[in-house]
Amino acid sequence: MFKGIYNWIDDRLDITPMWRDVADHEVPEHVNPAHHFSAFVYCFGGLTFFITIIQILSGMFLTMYYVPDIINAYASVDYLQHKVAFGAIVRGMHHWGASLVIVMMFLHTLRVFFTGSYKAPREMNWVVGMLIFFIMLGLGFTGYLLPWDNKAYFATKVGMQIAESVPYIGVYLKELMQGGEIVGAQTLTRFFAIHVFFLPGALLAMLAAHFIMIRRQGISGPL
Amino acid sequence: MAHGHKSTEKVVYVGDSRVRKGTMPNTPVDYTAFPGKSEAFIPNFLLKEWMVGVVALVGFLALTIAHPAPLGYPADPTNASFIPMPDWYFLFLYQLLKYPYVSGDFVVLGTVGVPGVAFGALLLAPFLDTGKERRFYKRPIASGLLILSILACVYLTKVSWDHYQHQLEINHVTPEHIDRANKAREAYEAGQPRPNPIQQQGAAEVPIVDADDPAMELAATCLSCHGTDMKGQGSIPSLRGVGDRLSEEQIADIITNGQGAMPSQADQHTPEEIDQIAAWLAKQKAEAAE
Amino acid sequence: MEEKERTYMPDEERQREATHQPVRRREMSRRQFLSYTLGGATAFMGVGAVLPMIRFAVDPLLMPQAEGTFVKVVEESSVTDEPQEFRFQINQIDGWYESQPELTAWISKGSDGTIFALSPICKHLGCTINWNTQNDNQYFCPCHDAKYDKDGKNLAVAPNPLDEYEVEIREGVVYLGPLKPNTRV
Repeated sequence: MFKGIYNWIDDRLDITPMWRDVADHEVPEHVNPAHHFSAFVYCFGGLTFFITIIQILSGMFLTMYYVPDIINAYASVDYLQHKVAFGAIVRGMHHWGASLVIVMMFLHTLRVFFTGSYKAPREMNWVVGMLIFFIMLGLGFTGYLLPWDNKAYFATKVGMQIAESVPYIGVYLKELMQGGEIVGAQTLTRFFAIHVFFLPGALLAMLAAHFIMIRRQGISGPL
Repeated sequence: MAHGHKSTEKVVYVGDSRVRKGTMPNTPVDYTAFPGKSEAFIPNFLLKEWMVGVVALVGFLALTIAHPAPLGYPADPTNASFIPMPDWYFLFLYQLLKYPYVSGDFVVLGTVGVPGVAFGALLLAPFLDTGKERRFYKRPIASGLLILSILACVYLTKVSWDHYQHQLEINHVTPEHIDRANKAREAYEAGQPRPNPIQQQGAAEVPIVDADDPAMELAATCLSCHGTDMKGQGSIPSLRGVGDRLSEEQIADIITNGQGAMPSQADQHTPEEIDQIAAWLAKQKAEAAE
Repeated sequence: MEEKERTYMPDEERQREATHQPVRRREMSRRQFLSYTLGGATAFMGVGAVLPMIRFAVDPLLMPQAEGTFVKVVEESSVTDEPQEFRFQINQIDGWYESQPELTAWISKGSDGTIFALSPICKHLGCTINWNTQNDNQYFCPCHDAKYDKDGKNLAVAPNPLDEYEVEIREGVVYLGPLKPNTRV
């Protein structure tokens, strides 16, 4: 039955080579922890991706309850954390996952750096990886404001002041991010939009580029 | 458009579409053809990766269950007693801005200059470190700079965190999310409903009773923390309507000995003054105000 | 396709080719024309779709600044030489959200006897300062240890002195207006 459906699709789209390319490619010995235990350092990239998936999923589910509005944002977070079944766990996954993704990405970056894997011909993939790092920091910064408690509010004010100190464009940069003269209702909606649509969109594009380049160039050889 | 192909090579398309019929065999290649003990990505290698993923997920779920995500009190822009704190991975930058030459007149250097150079160098590392050598100990400048930066970040984060803890201590402040969790637990143990910070804000609108009482003058020391309007701020409770919650003796005891984050006020006032303030505060009842 | 084009080559060109003269075509080829048109249409579709969104996003930058009004804060007689914290309500419009938030001002009398009001917003990175928390008669910011003297002069860490509220005194009552840069330092 499933084979029949698969063959029907394959006749029309020739999908076999696509997944065969992913499934059948060779994984060399030096990155395989079964052969060299120290090769576990090659796992951090995969773990970063795994936690990113958790972040995207938990974030999607959090927006079922969350309201990006200064009157209700705090109340909705309070409600979903304390009144909704498993709310503490879903919000906890998103909260701790945000930290963990930074940790994993940091370890992955260190592995790539210290194995010299960013050297030719893989320079572009390193640059894309760093852009992913910056996008993640941006996600952390914008996500911090969303619960609209004191910690969120005052940390964002400090962030805005840092933006304002940029020469020449600082004042405009700050007002553009705040969406007004103060950190308030329009800042929250703006940060929500950036956190939920703009940065994840950029992140997915960068991740696709990252993975396609890995497949094209293969994993870097043993030292 | 089929110029590039030799006429003998026949391109087969799927149906009448432009998808080329694949020529790749559907059987995995023989791995003995490759050097070393390499193996297929799926299922052999991915299974090992998945094992690591399973361990990571179990640890992660244990963490989320053991430590609920923190949530403080609703944002109050007028709260002067709150000590701002960014997320931990921004702390090194936050701490950097305290030092001379990156603060004051040079704050641009701290907010744009130093981070710009550091992150710019990291972004462009492959174009700065162009040698053929891959081993980290064979390229000491690149590795040395990175290790130094990491040590600096760790140091700055540590100093910043210690400074934050010190500030909490000297200001007798409990971080709001901990304070909230404690209050929720106390309420749970006492069999009361979980305190709702949003309702508390509404309850703060109780007017001050007997504002002309001379004790109000004495109570000026209270107002620096409890707010000039006595509505409290952040985790510091409102004094309006305090008589509904506490008796005169309890209030006098708290003023004399302190409670929780509140230090003792015994060296600020004589016992007579404390009694006077306590008597006045005990009159602060919601129904008396109406 | 290229072969097809050849069969439709104009006579003039065929002659040139026969006499081995280099082909010089000044006019745009059909392919070039189509490419430019495609590029132009793409640019129009991109700009036409995104431009309204950009203007939409930067709107707060281009809004006219609201005029500040003066708000009654405290009786002149209760202002002392020692700075005191006073709160007052202003009418604030934040997009669709109108509120009467409480602002804070540190009001004191200067050595010349004039009343002035300082903003509690630290000029370093926008935390909230407090008077005399270190028992040194200075304003202190807990974030980065910025210090200011009673006039708001920046002593440590902060790049600028504290902002001042505009002060008006009408019939013995202190009114505060919008913020302005410090004039006392």
